[in-house]
Amino acid sequence: MSVDAFFDRLRRDGAEDRLVKVSGSVRFDIRGERGLRHWRLDIDRGRLRVTEDDSPASTVVTMSEQTAEAMVAGGMNGLAAINRGEILVDGDLALALRIGRLLPAANARHGGGGT
Amino acid sequence: MRDVPGTVSCIDGNTFVVSDSSGDIEASSAAPVGLFAADTRYLSRWVLTVDGERMTALSVDDSQYFEVAFFLVPGGEVDYVQADVSAIRRRRIGADLVEVVTVFNYGESDLDLTVGLEVDADFADIFEIKFDAGTKVGERYAQVTPDELRLGYRRGTFQREIVLTASEPATFTPEHLHFPIRLAAGSSWTVEVRAEMRALRPDGVDLRSGPRALRPDASTLPDSVRAWVAAAPTLDTDSPVLRQVYERSLVDLAALRFAPLSLGGATVPAAGLPWFMTLFGRDSLLTCLQALPFTPSLAPTTLRILASLQGARTDDVLEEDPGRILHELRYGESAAFEEQPHSPYYGTVDATPLFLVLLDEYERWSGDAALVRELEQEARAALAWLDQHADLTGAGYVSYERRNRSTGLDNQCWKDSWDSISHADGRLPSFPRSTCETQGYAYDAKIRAARLARTFWDDPALAERLESEAASLYDRFNREFWLEDRGYYALALDGDGNPVDSLSSNIGHLLWSGIVPPERAGRIAAHLMSPALFSGWGVRTLAEGQCRYNPLGYHTGTVWPFDNSFIAWGLRRYGLTDEAGRIAEGIIQAAGFFEGRLPEAFGGFDRRTTRYPVRYPTAGSPQAWSSGASLLLIRTMLGLEPHEDHLATRPALPPAFDRITLLDIPGRWGKLDAFARRRPAS
Repeated sequence: MSVDAFFDRLRRDGAEDRLVKVSGSVRFDIRGERGLRHWRLDIDRGRLRVTEDDSPASTVVTMSEQTAEAMVAGGMNGLAAINRGEILVDGDLALALRIGRLLPAANARHGGGGT
Repeated sequence: MRDVPGTVSCIDGNTFVVSDSSGDIEASSAAPVGLFAADTRYLSRWVLTVDGERMTALSVDDSQYFEVAFFLVPGGEVDYVQADVSAIRRRRIGADLVEVVTVFNYGESDLDLTVGLEVDADFADIFEIKFDAGTKVGERYAQVTPDELRLGYRRGTFQREIVLTASEPATFTPEHLHFPIRLAAGSSWTVEVRAEMRALRPDGVDLRSGPRALRPDASTLPDSVRAWVAAAPTLDTDSPVLRQVYERSLVDLAALRFAPLSLGGATVPAAGLPWFMTLFGRDSLLTCLQALPFTPSLAPTTLRILASLQGARTDDVLEEDPGRILHELRYGESAAFEEQPHSPYYGTVDATPLFLVLLDEYERWSGDAALVRELEQEARAALAWLDQHADLTGAGYVSYERRNRSTGLDNQCWKDSWDSISHADGRLPSFPRSTCETQGYAYDAKIRAARLARTFWDDPALAERLESEAASLYDRFNREFWLEDRGYYALALDGDGNPVDSLSSNIGHLLWSGIVPPERAGRIAAHLMSPALFSGWGVRTLAEGQCRYNPLGYHTGTVWPFDNSFIAWGLRRYGLTDEAGRIAEGIIQAAGFFEGRLPEAFGGFDRRTTRYPVRYPTAGSPQAWSSGASLLLIRTMLGLEPHEDHLATRPALPPAFDRITLLDIPGRWGKLDAFARRRPAS
């Protein structure tokens, strides 16, 4: 799934059961070849509104387009990426982690070999 | 990995420093000495010299966990005659390290001296030290300016840095801080050196600024500790050792509080020094349970943080499933680059049911219905995990088998070392394994969640389903785990459903969970108190006579104070007060040999043989659930149980204690007191 497809899906769904107790706003600043793109997610007790604007939000998540693609494809650990400085979260990290739960389970990784 | 005797430590949450007795740090690859924060060693060398000469401590004052003072003279202990020069090195740790060095000249002539600090930072991840492994992939750097020395480590966007500054003019080099001083006869000179530890993002923002903002100045620490101790109930007793243990435990729990990096500043207990200075699901949940009557503020933050990191996907490296509560969260380089699976690692079979147990027990004490409603979704997800992801054999039990075959844990119960689960003849059972105590936790979790569903979630249908599932688990467990010829429960069932027949301490937890029919409780208690299991200090993890028994085996013969505290609580649940009292008495008396600080574990040797509890070589100390053990034992002796808006007390003191009074026990009743006097033996 691409980043656009991920936000389109959220926009289409318009609501998310897993966020019924959550209210807040998160802006994603994604830097790619086409420059800086903004996605803004407003959550009101589970209702979602997705816009492409750069107005202030209570939580801002900044990453490269490459990292964003890896996240929506389910192939990257968000907390590890935050820890190594690849994803920057300003504001409410707990809210960002809740949004992280919406990422698809596709490409789930499987255990390593060895003993 | 090895333990280093003679070390002095100083801690505040997951920031800590371990040095030798003079305050110096000379780290070797495998020794956990150094200055640490967020699972990273920020100083691997920190050696004080005066005119090039090392210092020796005449005495050390480490009576406060967050500061230590070393009283020093130059040279080695043996060649000390009478020094004109002496020094006090006062170290204080908060979010960062502050060290104040005062040099005295008690001689008759003026002196020109050079005070030096030798410095190095290897930025080793705690796992590199634990496993004595790993070469650094990234690059170290040093930047010297007239006012500071910066030592750093960079690997891609991952950057850690320590900045050293001083209050007095200094010469900085990449390896030293030098202070040339003139010290008149009879005078002294003081410098304050600060070591600020940073976890830098590429835009220069420090991830540690959140935790640092909580504690802007290390000098606020004493107030914070005083407030913490003052908020806890006041203990009055005839037993000096119980008083000592109680005070030590409260202070150590304060010491282990930490705010996980960027999680909003709420504090949770770190598990233990030096290897476990981070968030563990099981350890933090059990510590909160132990501490509920004393320091209830730990529980809601722990529940919220564990809820916010609850599993949502299926990931075989992290062993994540939807609804699963985490095992371990780390911030070091190995976690950041997913060389270790701790971002977070979910390989625990019991944290999820224990999350539900704590949520219920916390409400019973606090009356905090809002939290139960706030975490309804997470609690339901935890229940779903028990049903949908934990039953790996289809036999209706909570079981485990690691999916991360390179770095995952073999055993995902509290005894998580590789050889902890074995048959009496020493054979290791097949996977998936279903350990007995986990079934007790699951049973208890369902019973308690049923109460939450009925009372707070307006879902009587769920409550009935949970009660019916708990009842069938109770029947099945008592049929299939019970070894009638032995008179105890199997330690586990193996992958084919065959019982693992070792006699172990795990059966004691079953009493706590209430999954034991009353008519069997006496036989379980008899085993727990038998010479094979009871050492005189406490119940051994594995009984004498089992093939793998070793009094110094980590989970195969040592005595764990936390384990014993839950066993004692279980014995009281079944009215077995004498047995509970013997355990409380033994563990608290053992604490007297550790200056009131119960270690993670101690040797399982017979008390009559050794007369003292033998130190276990790599035991963590302080260890949160060992500090919590003495608190739970006090609760057990006083028989404290919340009933609606009342606190019931049914004291039963063992012979070692004549009187225990606990004043201002916080809860939904406000504050209440409990009084206990020992009844003379009849």
